[in-house]
Amino acid sequence: MLIQLEAYTVIGLTVGGALALAALGIVLVYRVTGVLNFANGAMGMFSTFVAWTVIYDPGWSRLRPAFLPEQVWVWFAVLIALVFSVGLGLALELGVFRWLVGRSQLIKAVVTIGILLLLQSGASLIWGNTQYHLPVNVVDPQRSVMVARVPVGWNQLLVMATAIGLSLGLAAFLQWSRFGVAMRAVSDDPIAAGLWGIPVRWVGSVSWMLGSLVAAIAGILISPFINFDTISLTLLVLDALAAALIGGLVSLPLTVLGGFALGLLETYPRIWIQSQDFPKLIALLVILAVLIFRARRVLLEKQA
Amino acid sequence: MNRVIRAAGFLLLALAITVPARLDLELQFDAALAVIYGLAILSLVLLTGYVGQISLCQATFMGISAFGTGMLVNTFHLNYFVAAAAGVLMSFLVGIVVGIPALRLRGILLAVVTLGVALVFDKYFFLDSAYGWFTGGSFGWHVSGTHVGSIKVDSLHVMPAYYVLLGIFVLVALAMLRLHDSGSGRRFRAIRDSELAAATMGVDLTRYKLVAFGLSAAIAGLGGALYPLVVGSVSAQPFSFLYSLQFAAFAVLMGIRYVPAAAIGGFFMGFMPVILVRLSHSLHHDIKYDWFQVVLGALLVAQLILLPDGVWGDVRQKLDHLQVKAPRRKVETA
Repeated sequence: MLIQLEAYTVIGLTVGGALALAALGIVLVYRVTGVLNFANGAMGMFSTFVAWTVIYDPGWSRLRPAFLPEQVWVWFAVLIALVFSVGLGLALELGVFRWLVGRSQLIKAVVTIGILLLLQSGASLIWGNTQYHLPVNVVDPQRSVMVARVPVGWNQLLVMATAIGLSLGLAAFLQWSRFGVAMRAVSDDPIAAGLWGIPVRWVGSVSWMLGSLVAAIAGILISPFINFDTISLTLLVLDALAAALIGGLVSLPLTVLGGFALGLLETYPRIWIQSQDFPKLIALLVILAVLIFRARRVLLEKQA
Repeated sequence: MNRVIRAAGFLLLALAITVPARLDLELQFDAALAVIYGLAILSLVLLTGYVGQISLCQATFMGISAFGTGMLVNTFHLNYFVAAAAGVLMSFLVGIVVGIPALRLRGILLAVVTLGVALVFDKYFFLDSAYGWFTGGSFGWHVSGTHVGSIKVDSLHVMPAYYVLLGIFVLVALAMLRLHDSGSGRRFRAIRDSELAAATMGVDLTRYKLVAFGLSAAIAGLGGALYPLVVGSVSAQPFSFLYSLQFAAFAVLMGIRYVPAAAIGGFFMGFMPVILVRLSHSLHHDIKYDWFQVVLGALLVAQLILLPDGVWGDVRQKLDHLQVKAPRRKVETA
């Protein structure tokens, strides 16, 4: 029984790490541009499928030179997907959100729903929406280490470490780097920031690129742990929103803590309840609880 | 202008009454679906367009009344229309419960909560075996149809159900047009424009918001309750969150503050799949349904940038401007 509990803890922390990663992208974009991105999961899904194509599509995998180990080719695929995700973020900012500056927050959120529909059905046109797809394994899925008598997969460790590392890294970037200060300035007051010579548009573009990049990292790292198809990754946005709300849509470290807590909360009931999609209920309850008890903190109503 | 629109409305209604009877069964079926979708979009016009509350779970409300109706017909062998009325009542009650968070939340946060509701019902309640008593298990409910007097109504004879649906749609649409300028309608719109101001003027926010959610859910539920009659069965797929998002997208795209937008949106949602299929047949090239959603997403994004009040709202405004401008120019030249 105890071993079981520990095993579930490992699973919960893995799920939590992935949720935290997805939530980081949402928080980053929301903080700087005031857009609550419902398409965050869909963007990550699309980029993950780009990596999948490079690895498994015969047309692409044929290009792999014979001397290159398969694992290296996977890393190359991930690199291409990450470059793609940056391009996707930039394209969305230049093509869509730049034209919505000054519009209400709600309009921007509805636009992201349009993008969600677009990416979701676009992906199922390209990759099919029902088939099961092989996951993108950044590290060998067979390898694991023993922690407290429970085997912890390398890929599980990778998710957790990336979530913690990325959140601390991004928080430090926002806090201390010159560009991070510019991002925070734009987030506080875009007009004043512009008057001080900060390239407001460029800052907005960078935050979209970063948000898309983080969403892609989240999608790629979580693909071995879920039923990897076009829908599940898109739907991850609800759990990610729950984690982001725990962080008040502002704090990166709190968001990651929220992600881990939510991951555990979603996983422990599985000891008793055999249901694939039960966690969505937990996510909704967490969202409601956060909004009821912390409504004032969350409702900073950025009318950017 | 208004006279032209009214005349066009009557003409379209006459077409909607006469044309489907001459079509083949597949198109009749889609016509009935179009009215069901139209009701769902109409429910958003009330909730979002009039009262300013966001909901991304209208398909859930539809689903509750559809499953409820299916359950009552199959388990308790009720008369179909009694069951349908009970199904609508269930939607109404669930709508009020979903409206409770709206008492504290606005805008995007309400969107998050209602999206959560849609996902929880779509992926969990509607699919999990634990709720089989309500959803009919993994095969859903089979509904064999009913009789109205001596007229048979089932999935092979959809015209009577279509006329009932069309009648309901017209009644609800007319009621909403009347509501717009009535006392309650003004209170609803006051909540939309500013909750604070509305409360200051003595509008009971709690009551009006909950009633708006309940009514909106019931309108969506009206379509849902007759869905099993048209389709012959109920399963979770037609009430998935993607449909909720499509309803919201169509409502915003066509003009969420205007009743006619629901008719236009419903028409497109109902007929676009069959149009795509027939187009693929005649072009000998497979056009997948997903293209419909790709185009919808792209149009929604473009519209929100270019036509913020929706197709109906902005086109009407432009036409009105043309009318006003024309005589003015005459005065200047004279």
